[in-house]
Amino acid sequence: MADFQTSTQRAKWILSPQELGGRYNAANQRAIEALEKFGAALMEVDADGSLSYPDPQINSKDHADKHSRPKSLSIEEEQFMRVFYENKLQEVCNNFHFPHKIQATALIYFKRFYLQWSVMQHNPKNVMLTCIYAACKIEENHVSAEELGKGISQDHQIILNYEMIVYQSLEFDLIVYAPYRSVEGYVNDIEELFNENAEMLQMLKVTASLEVDKIMLTDAPLLFPPGQLALAALRRSNEVHGVIDFNSYLDSILSRQNSTHTISELYEGINAIESLVNRYAFPSEKDLKHINRKLKSCWGLGSNDESKKREKKSKHKSKRSSNEMQNRPLQN
Amino acid sequence: MGDGNNSNRGLVSANAANRNNNNNNGSHHKKPEWLQQYDLIGKIGEGTYGLVFLAKIKPPSPSRGKSIAIKKFKQSKDGDGVSPTAIREIMLLREISHENVVKLVNVHINHADMSLYLAFDYAEHDLYEIIRHHRDKANHPLNQYTVKSLLWQLLNGLNYLHSNWIIHRDLKPSNILVMGEGEEQGVVKIADFGLARIYQAPLKPLFENGVVVTIWYRAPELLLGAKHYTSAVDMWAVGCIFAELLTLKPLFQGQEVKGPPNPFQLDQLDKIFKVLGHPTIEKWPTLANLPNWQQDVQHIQGHKYDNAGLYNVVHLSPKSPAYDLLSKMLEYDPRKRITAAQALEHEYFRLEPLPGYNALVPNQPGEKVINYPTRPVDTTTDFEGTTSLQPSQTVTSGNAVNMQGGHMARSVPRAMGVGMPRMPHQSMAAYNLASQAGMGMNPGGIPMQRGVSSQAHQQQQVILPSRNNKDVTEWFQESLRLLLG
Repeated sequence: MADFQTSTQRAKWILSPQELGGRYNAANQRAIEALEKFGAALMEVDADGSLSYPDPQINSKDHADKHSRPKSLSIEEEQFMRVFYENKLQEVCNNFHFPHKIQATALIYFKRFYLQWSVMQHNPKNVMLTCIYAACKIEENHVSAEELGKGISQDHQIILNYEMIVYQSLEFDLIVYAPYRSVEGYVNDIEELFNENAEMLQMLKVTASLEVDKIMLTDAPLLFPPGQLALAALRRSNEVHGVIDFNSYLDSILSRQNSTHTISELYEGINAIESLVNRYAFPSEKDLKHINRKLKSCWGLGSNDESKKREKKSKHKSKRSSNEMQNRPLQN
Repeated sequence: MGDGNNSNRGLVSANAANRNNNNNNGSHHKKPEWLQQYDLIGKIGEGTYGLVFLAKIKPPSPSRGKSIAIKKFKQSKDGDGVSPTAIREIMLLREISHENVVKLVNVHINHADMSLYLAFDYAEHDLYEIIRHHRDKANHPLNQYTVKSLLWQLLNGLNYLHSNWIIHRDLKPSNILVMGEGEEQGVVKIADFGLARIYQAPLKPLFENGVVVTIWYRAPELLLGAKHYTSAVDMWAVGCIFAELLTLKPLFQGQEVKGPPNPFQLDQLDKIFKVLGHPTIEKWPTLANLPNWQQDVQHIQGHKYDNAGLYNVVHLSPKSPAYDLLSKMLEYDPRKRITAAQALEHEYFRLEPLPGYNALVPNQPGEKVINYPTRPVDTTTDFEGTTSLQPSQTVTSGNAVNMQGGHMARSVPRAMGVGMPRMPHQSMAAYNLASQAGMGMNPGGIPMQRGVSSQAHQQQQVILPSRNNKDVTEWFQESLRLLLG
């Protein structure tokens, strides 16, 4: 594959924790500004894929009355929303029996998309579906938008409307490196090095792969290169199965890699990834309901007259149905 | 996307002019904002997936006056979103950068019709036109220096791609561009990555993608039904191109069988066997496993071929280094075929004349400089592809045309600018004819049919990376590279 060393992923999409915090903060701020200016932050995606904010004049009444202005989501609440939909994304991919690689690619697209935008600006459900669709296209496991939409009873037109926005927000950096292949690479290497029996190695690999699934749901893929994510997964898997002396394996890796990595740097990275997995929190149902209600009002889809007005205003079938879905509580 | 969001910085620019345009009836008379940075000169090529334009960058840009080739991709017609060919080409070009690979300088989106415009550095020439010029006009062969320099640079670019795990899959003279006057004069640029693949990803057989590639440059293992690509398929094509540079004629000009996706191309194999002799299990052990070899015993295995001798066809002494290199590129067994890296080290490139940077202008004094013709430009077509002569809509209307076209005329390779069929010369009749031929030309249409998509479910199990592509050490090395912070 185009070499990771010179990849867009390494150059642009692996951030420091400070950068990551800054990006989330900036996206949140932009949404809040839009909310203040327009009374709603949700961007409208037209059938042609172009974006616009809601017409400020329609909302001028709200604008005048500060108290009725929807309350914005905090950065933590945005995070919870993303967590919820990232899990949904994995669910959808599993239901379609998509391979790991597609799931990982879609997840990374989703994460990168929300480095640029807030969930207040773009409905994560639509973005999630579009990321899956795009990942299938890129990984050559083509599924038609219609088929994907049908599989989860959603209007596929939304996916098509969002597709270009997603590519654009990803800055067309569409080749992503997931840790699954590196896990296999390391397990092959371990096989040669330690002469372990195949059954043990298979277990090591399977569990590590499940660990990667967990890691992929955290911020870790935006913070660490895939090789380190793979090692973190392998270490956890090895703790379960006790196949090898992991520390000496790390030593052996470093001795064979002519890079400036020190063992302590590598430990630091692996520990940090593990702590992200350990600290991973899924929102409670109560939290979710609360955030979801807030989010809808940020989108301008509350139960007040405003939403009806907006709905009437939208002429496209796709838009209308998209709004309908936004009003419907999430199934499954 | 405005309003302080900078997500379209750098390479990608959106069409701001259309952003607030809520009218949805497809009419867009206003020139998109991004377009205003270019002076459109005209259309230089067209194909199933779009059109290619020549434009110049306007002042006040520091690169004003610079020529740019703009490849416009249409939205895929079957209602399945953004053209996968366009996306694939962009995603690969975003990751690579090499002197001998075409440079993507910008991506523009026209939201009004969901089309993508890829802006490339413009290359005035391509090997198809250069060869044609020598054959039809100049009536003399390319000089040795030029052949060697072109070949070396082609291999240099290909070596870069292959070491980055990318197989081009559609190398042919029209996709090998050569820069015209300017700093990079005579520099080779490999173009058209619409079919290119990363080969650690699972590579599906061609027919599953509904893609048709020119058969003249297709490697024998593919013709015999191999399901796995390796970078060796590109080296076969380079061998064919090398021979064509020497003789000015395509080496294996088979008649293409049209019909269902990926029909068996017996005539192409026949043309190859006539020159290279029958492949044998002794020389090519995995031959026995290839589906078409097993199935078509009567035709392929039964027919006896006399080895006409490649050296006779290309007029080279069997002892010359040029012949040695060529025969190693045209080795039947893909595992024995010479790699790009090995070819660059070949003796041929260490003998006089040594290959040079400017392949078109030899550094020896007294050598005649050939003035290759510039690309014909159709100045009657605007960026929407509409022209007073013929509306673009008739060029490709719908998937059915795409697919049929894909099988049509494949055996008539034509020059491409940025990998698209070149415009024929101006006359109206010629224009129409070529437009139709052009429909067939485009390898990259990859319009995903419905039928294909339903296969997605069957493919669930496929994705586990195959170890055949890389050995364990390489794989481990890859894992190590992925460690880099």
